[in-house]
Amino acid sequence: MSLLAMAWRYLLFRKVATMLTAGCIALGVALVCAVLALQNESEKALTRDAALYDLVAGGKGSPLQLVLSSVYHLDSPTGNIDFREYERIRRDSRVLWAAPVGLGDNYQGFRIVGTEEHFFDLPDRDGGRFFRLASGSVFKDPFEVVLGSQVATATGLGLGDSFSGTHGLVEVPGGEVHDDFPYTVSGILSPTGTAQDRAIFGTLESVWEIHETEERLHSAIQGSALLGDSQKRETTAILIRLKAPGLRLWMAEEIRENSEGIAAIPINEVLRFQRGMIAPVQRALLGISAIVVLVACLSALITLHQATDRRRRDIAILRSLGATRYEVATLIFLEGSLLTAGGVILGVMLGHTGLALAAGPVREATGLLLQAWRLPATELLAVSAIALCGAFASLFPAISCYRRTPIDDLAAVY
Amino acid sequence: MRVVRIRDVFESMIRIRNVSFQLGAVRGSAVRFQLPSFDVEQGEAVALTGPSGCGKTTLINLIAGLRCPGQGEVHVSGVDLAALSPSQLDRHRGAHCGMVFQTFHLLAPFTAVENVAIGLRLGMRKNTSTRDHARELLQRVGLGKRLHARPAQLSVGERQRVAIARAIAGDAPILLADEPTGSLDPVTGLEVFNLLRKIAREDGRTLLVVTHDQTLASDMPRRFDCSGLVQHHAEAERKEPATS
Repeated sequence: MSLLAMAWRYLLFRKVATMLTAGCIALGVALVCAVLALQNESEKALTRDAALYDLVAGGKGSPLQLVLSSVYHLDSPTGNIDFREYERIRRDSRVLWAAPVGLGDNYQGFRIVGTEEHFFDLPDRDGGRFFRLASGSVFKDPFEVVLGSQVATATGLGLGDSFSGTHGLVEVPGGEVHDDFPYTVSGILSPTGTAQDRAIFGTLESVWEIHETEERLHSAIQGSALLGDSQKRETTAILIRLKAPGLRLWMAEEIRENSEGIAAIPINEVLRFQRGMIAPVQRALLGISAIVVLVACLSALITLHQATDRRRRDIAILRSLGATRYEVATLIFLEGSLLTAGGVILGVMLGHTGLALAAGPVREATGLLLQAWRLPATELLAVSAIALCGAFASLFPAISCYRRTPIDDLAAVY
Repeated sequence: MRVVRIRDVFESMIRIRNVSFQLGAVRGSAVRFQLPSFDVEQGEAVALTGPSGCGKTTLINLIAGLRCPGQGEVHVSGVDLAALSPSQLDRHRGAHCGMVFQTFHLLAPFTAVENVAIGLRLGMRKNTSTRDHARELLQRVGLGKRLHARPAQLSVGERQRVAIARAIAGDAPILLADEPTGSLDPVTGLEVFNLLRKIAREDGRTLLVVTHDQTLASDMPRRFDCSGLVQHHAEAERKEPATS
């Protein structure tokens, strides 16, 4: 019987203590894994979305708010920007692709994004097309829409189905439903793993028509003049892909100077947001997790020390059978290392299972697609460090065993 | 590097000369173990007798290399134990001395066959085929049907049989039994004692048995009275502390 097998049997012999200690380690490791994986995945997901566009132009306000509302379909828009600015930008020779974003309504909490047909021609960074249709086709008529994959799953809408949007960007009870302007589903997009999966894409004309009609109605009720004017049409934001990312700052400056709106670089805003707002919270969580791990390692050390103390007789017996000091110390070290390894493996599984379970609700709430079973390098490093700490903690009882002389322990039980 | 000297094969299996060391101190007086001369030949069976605390167990531990004397020589299987490093001493013990204790000292997490296999591994330093050999040994001590029982599931007599199987597992030429019948009823004790004698005789092993039972001791070919091995001296001597 090998020393490893013996160490394993000793752990199994005191199941409860082993399970409790491994459970403590697992809990700490699970927290560390979850925090690190969440950090990694959220960073990846945020940058994945932000990297789709080089610039976002919109009404004056917070650049972050502009990015969150037009790229992630979160937060309120900053305001509108003249539609002619979009037409000017689209004609600019430095622009590879540009599309307007008109917001105003939602369906079951999913935003209805008014845009143009070429929105779906957005190239991905590898040169292919970012959007792919899972079924149907892009809209042809003003009141046809294309659903993001998550919208189709959540609402159960299929090709040819009709629905009416509700006024506002979030679902509120008793919201004003635009029953006179039903939309028909013409296509459903394949999943992209971005916030676009949570949007309903329709024509900008439909957004204008619904809201201009509403405004005319309100004006008629209030007796004021008609406000709708096709010459003064606006859009909520303009999404821009440039021919070269190096043109971002130059172009953003031009938009700020030549229009009444602002231009934001999504990736910069998101990273600033991530580092300024999310990272401190993640660091705090990581700190708490590190304390939990430390306590777990100490608990493992105490368990091993107590177990070793109770097993002085067994150690002495092994020595009397011919085991060397090195062998008994190795046995204790292996026992501690197995205990830590078990806790670490359990913790990694626990942490990622938790992430997998949270992936659905997180995606529904934020649109972030978490790859729950991916192990980022930082996590591998942290987990290895924890395992090393556990092995290091096992050295203390092992050294204590190494130093003991069997004669006293054999005599003590006579 | 210290060289282990293998002496002539015809030398005594156990040879002790002028051993003296301090065991401790009680109420200001030094407790010393002294043994001028003690020899045991190969295949010899010796009963170690004497009152409690007279030094029987210390003598057994001395031979096993569990205790090292400050002065004198202890040769076991032709090897001077003082010339061995701690690791060599452990390995020498595993290879040359099989130990049986009064309270069996089986390892609780392991089955009977595993306890014996552990003795095999540590005695012979082999990882392969130990299970089959362990089974054979347990069959030899009459426990062929209790191979997979844990110590807690065995009777005291059975536990001592497992301990005997473990002691002979490494093919050690010397069996050191420290009151092997002390925890057993007279009938079981006699069975275990006879088993030890039988195994030692059949294998040609040297057997040293510590016992308080005069009947059993009288059945042994040779008795060694350990009375007086441990002495109390009025003035504590601290020049030669006991090592272990």
